[in-house]
Order: sequence, then C-alpha cells, then structure tokens
Amino acid sequence: MITHQDSMHILLADDDEDDRTFFSEAIQELKMNNKLTLFKDGNDLMDYLEHPEIKLPHVLFLDLNMPGKTGIDCLKEIRSNTRFKDVSIAIYSTSSSEKDIEDTFVEGANIYIKKPNDFSKLKEVIKEAVNMNWQFHTSGLNIETFFFSI
Amino acid sequence: MKILGLYKNSQVFKIALAIAIVVVCYIASMFYSQMKKLDSTVELIANSNETQLELEKLLSVISGYETSLRSYIITKDETYIESRFLNRGKIEESITRLKLLTANDTARNNDIDRLKKLIDLRFKLFRKTLLLAQSKNSGPLTLNEMLLESSNVTEMMKSFVTKIIYSESTKTEFENNNHQFELQDSIITAFLLVILSLLILLLSFQKMNIDIDELKKANDQLKLLNESYNTAEMTAGFGHWMVNVETNKYTFSDNLFRLMGVEPNAFEPNIENTIPYIHPDDLEYVTKVHKDSLVSHQSTSMIFRFLTPNGDIKYSMGVGSFTKNGSGDLIKIGVNYDITSQYKKTLELEENNKELKYINTKLEAFNNIVSHDLQEPLRKIQMFISRLEEKELDLLSPQGKDYFSKIRVTANRMQTLLIDLVNYSRTIKGDKVFVETNLNKVLEEIIQDLSTNIEDKKAIITIGNLPTIKAIPFQVKQLFINLISNSLKYSKEDSTPEISITSKKITEKEMQDYKIANKKEYHKIVISDNGIGFKQEYSEKIFLLFKRLETDPKYSGTGLGLAICSRIVENHKGFIKVKSKPNLGAKFYIFLPKGDLL
Repeated sequence: MITHQDSMHILLADDDEDDRTFFSEAIQELKMNNKLTLFKDGNDLMDYLEHPEIKLPHVLFLDLNMPGKTGIDCLKEIRSNTRFKDVSIAIYSTSSSEKDIEDTFVEGANIYIKKPNDFSKLKEVIKEAVNMNWQFHTSGLNIETFFFSI
Repeated sequence: MKILGLYKNSQVFKIALAIAIVVVCYIASMFYSQMKKLDSTVELIANSNETQLELEKLLSVISGYETSLRSYIITKDETYIESRFLNRGKIEESITRLKLLTANDTARNNDIDRLKKLIDLRFKLFRKTLLLAQSKNSGPLTLNEMLLESSNVTEMMKSFVTKIIYSESTKTEFENNNHQFELQDSIITAFLLVILSLLILLLSFQKMNIDIDELKKANDQLKLLNESYNTAEMTAGFGHWMVNVETNKYTFSDNLFRLMGVEPNAFEPNIENTIPYIHPDDLEYVTKVHKDSLVSHQSTSMIFRFLTPNGDIKYSMGVGSFTKNGSGDLIKIGVNYDITSQYKKTLELEENNKELKYINTKLEAFNNIVSHDLQEPLRKIQMFISRLEEKELDLLSPQGKDYFSKIRVTANRMQTLLIDLVNYSRTIKGDKVFVETNLNKVLEEIIQDLSTNIEDKKAIITIGNLPTIKAIPFQVKQLFINLISNSLKYSKEDSTPEISITSKKITEKEMQDYKIANKKEYHKIVISDNGIGFKQEYSEKIFLLFKRLETDPKYSGTGLGLAICSRIVENHKGFIKVKSKPNLGAKFYIFLPKGDLL
C-alpha cells in the first residue's frame, strides 16, 4: 500500500499544451513531494507504459479528446492489463456529458474530473485527487461518487 | 289496421285467393250441373209437346179416314178410298215415333201399345165396314150397326188420346214450373259466380297495385341508395367489383372504371380487359393473388398500382372477400381504395423524417460544439484570467484593473450562456424517457447543488409535500433549478429572499381559465418568491427565447432560463403560468398532467 507521504508518481496525458502547463504549475505551487510526467497524447502514454522497467505511476490523469489513441482507448488498454491493476485513473476532461461519464465509469476509471475554469480550483482538485485514499474511494464507488466535484 | 296488415301479407293473400278459386270452381260446377239439368228439362218438355202433337196428328189421320169412309158409303165414289185403307204407313210411322218419344216413360209406352191395339181394332172395323159397304147384299141395318160400332171405337180412341194428351200437358206444365224454378236458381248461381269472380279480380288487382307501388318505392329507394353509393365512392375514392365464381361473370362499379382512368363501362368487365390498366410490374402478382383466391376462397388484401391510359400511376389498396349471393352462388366482392395521395404523403413524410433525423444529428453535433469545443477556449481564457488575477493584478493601473474585472465578468457571462444553450438544446432532443420521479428528492438535490448560491443570498427555501410524477428526471431537475435560480437572482437586495415550492389544489377559476376538465388530471406546483417581480403584462413574454425584461443591469440573464422552463413543461404536456406585480414577488404555477395524459 502506497501512502501519500511517499514520493508519488503522477502521469498526465493531455494534448493541450496550456492544460499541461496549468497542471504542472498547479503541482509545483502545491509543493507536494511528487514526480509528474507529461504526455502529449495517448500513443506517447501507452509507449511509455509498455516499458517493462518503468516504475508504475500511482495516479494517471487522462484527457479524453486526444489525437491518435483517445483517452477511452488508453483506459481500455490499461484496464485490460493486470500489470496496471494498482494504477488509479482519473479522467480529466472538459466534457461533462453523461455519455462520457458513464462510458469511462463502465471501462473502469476511478474518478471523473471536469477541468475547472479557475486556477485555484484546479489546485484544489489536484490536491484532493492526489491525497485521496484511493482504496477507500474505489471500494465504495458508484456513478454518483465517481463524478468528482469540489 | 290489422286487416290491412293481413291484406298486405302476401301469404295470407295467397291462401285467401286459393279459397276463393275453390269456391268459384264449386259454384261453377254447380252451375254446370244446373244447366245440364235445365237442358234435360227442356228436352223433356219438347218431347212431351212432340208426343202430344204426334197423338193429335194420329187422331186427325184416323178422323180423316173415317170421313173418307163415310163419304164413300154415301157417294160410292172410289176416289175417296183408293188404296188408303190398306196403307197404314203414316200411322205406323207415328206409332214408331211415339214409341221412340216415350221410350223413357214405361207407363206412357204401355199407353201407346194400348193405343196401337185400339187403332188395330179401328182398322179392323174400317175394313169390315168397307167390305160391308162394297157387298151389295148387305142390309143397311148391319152397315148402320157397323158404323155405330166404329164411331164408338173412334170415340173411345179419341177419349184415350185426349187422356194421354191431358196427362202429357199436365206433365209439361209441371216440368215447365220446375224449369222456371231451376232457371231462377241458375241465374242466382251465375250471378254469384260473376260477383265472386269480379271480387277476386278486384282484390287481385288492388293487391297487385299495392305490390307494384311497394316495388316501385323499393326500386326508388334502391336507385337513391345506388346513386348515393356512387357519389360516396367518388368522394372517398374507392370502387368495388364482384365476380360470380360459378359463372365467372364480373361487374365493376362506375368509380372503379374512373380509378383506372376511363369512363364508366368503358369496357366489358373481366380480367383480360383490366390487364392493360394494371402496372406491368404488379400484374403478375395481382393476377396470381386473385386467381389463387378464386380457388382457395380466402380473402385477399394487396397494394398495387393502376396505370391509367394517360400514363398516371395510381396506388390502390384492394381487399376482397367471399360470400354467397341470393341464388346461392359463391361470389367474390372486392373494394379498391385509391391511396395515391396517402402513399405520396407517406413518401413525403419519410423524406421529411430522414431530413429531420439528419437535422437532429447536425443539431447534436452543434450541441457538442457548443458544449465542448466552445467551452474549451473559454475555459482557458478563464484559467488565464485567474492566473493573471493571482499573479499580475497588482501590476495593473486602476483602469487596467477595471478592464480586467470586466473581462472576467464577460467571460463568466459567456460561460453561463453556453451552459444555458446546452441545456436548452437538451430539452429539444427527441429521446424522452418518462420515469416515476419523486419531486421532493429532486428538490433535495437541487438545494444541495445550489447551496453556495443560497448561502450567498441567505435565502430561506421552504419545500412542501410534493408529489411523485412521471417525468424526464434531468429535465424536471433543470426546471426547478432554473425557477429557483431565477427567484434567487431577482431577489430584493434589502430583504431576505423567501422562496417556497408547494403543491396546491387547482381552483375553479383556473379550471375555467385554462380549460381543465378534471381537477384530478393535473398536478399544480407553485414556486413563489418575494423578489422584485414584474408587470403582469410581461407574463407571456418572459417565457420566450432570448426575451429579457428591461431590468437593472445588475440582474444579468441569458434570456434562456425561463424559455427552458416553458420548453420542459411543454415536453411534459403541461403548461406554466406566472402572476406577478412589481416589488411584490412572483408566483410561478406549473400544471403537469398525471400519468395517463402523457
């Protein structure tokens, strides 16, 4: 069991450069002891994850709308591989459509975060998500608690 | 009335007629026998008369002989006698005739025999007298004696004949009387016969008249029916036909010909002549179905095309079924219904439907663009605003700070507008699934969602006991969110906003005003506030898309919120009304039909 006191490895896959910048700035400002790796699309992310020698991340923030492999594609691939069974996946998207929420829930994502439109809210969301007791959250998971709101 | 009814009943009439004919036959036979009897009476009288005549003739012949004999005795002239005394021919003839005439009457016949004997005796005396007169040696005394005896015999004969004649005339008189009586009888019988025959004739004629009258009436009615049927066929665009399966004889209605694009009775109705008017592509199918049915006697139903002589294509729906006619022949009756316009309309509808579906997908794509693609850059703008606000705001001049704050407000406004637009387009989308929705639960959620806003305004929200309704859950939620947000937004600054959501009974006036037939058919939910309100005259306008009331600029709105409400209530087949006065708050009334109206 990994606790948040340890150095956490966080991944973010998002094709939007600005969003990647906001995300890394937020992580920096939160002054948390964690390692962030950024990917510009789904293909990059999956290439990285397929390396056998890498240290598996604790949390993966996954955008849905990406060129090449979409967020849903990546989600399906990861969830079909038992090697990644301990990786928590947070969907990180602009969309709040019911279809996207339902689909990602069914495919095994852990939480669904709608990209906030305020930087302070972004920091708050990341802080909550990273510090979340994932096992506790996942055990009582249902579609209502799946959608993460601050 | 009862008699007239009986009279009209043809069965009763037939029986009466039969009885009458039997009576007439009986009377006629009676008349015949009377006539026959009369005939024999007449013959009897004639017979008797002839007998009398013959007897008198006989007497006169005898008298003539006697006179001749006397004249001879006196004059001795041979010419008086000649050979007459030896010639009894005339007398024998009379006797034979008399025998014949009285053949039927034994007594009279015996009389004639006796007369014959008397005549024989008389002739014997004649001969004796003549011989005596011719022999010169006889004395006058013997001759006188002889003459006296002769005269006696003659007298006896005369009296005998007179007796017969008298008896005959008595008989004749009796027969005559009888004849008169019978004649009278016959006249009465004949009269009766004539009267009865006349009566029967009259009754038959009358009955015939009535029957003809009724037949004519029925015929007229039938004609009228036929005419109205023809008109109906023309108006409704259908035609019918019949075929006698036994005789294979077809009949077509006038309008069936018209459906084929020709004048009524343009051709002899049968399959062969109809073939040119059926679309070649449908011909095989139509003839097969029809001919098969004539064998199987199963009803038919098909849609095919008529091809009229001027090239028009008419879609026709034909149904046929079997029945028996009056004479027990199996017939197929068919009705052809012109469905060209319906068919074209259906095609048009299908086309429109396709287009609508296409538009709908476009709308959904647009919806996606609005909800995702437009929000994306906006969100980033807001993000940068928040970054600037946090890090760089202090570096701006006061005017720069003012501009900056306006940029932020405008960006937020745009975000609200986009969210409202998405919500509105979601109310138009077709997929509406109605489920049992507990309004109290929905409102609990809403209060949770709006908690920040409610706390900011320090508003007091009262929720009554609300019903469970059949609804589209997310839409109903949107409806109450919008209405409560509306009340919060247009609250008075100087007093605590009070909002209540309650279920109320429908009043009589509302039933009249909104044409509600039954109070129990609708739920009525009232959302009332103590906000700034508005003039009642705007009560319709506020529900229109992008219509905003001119209010203080501090009350910002998109003009979509209440339009969405109206749209949602419409989706639930209900209606929304509002009552308000400036500064006195507003009351929104939502009428939603109960289950079965949806």
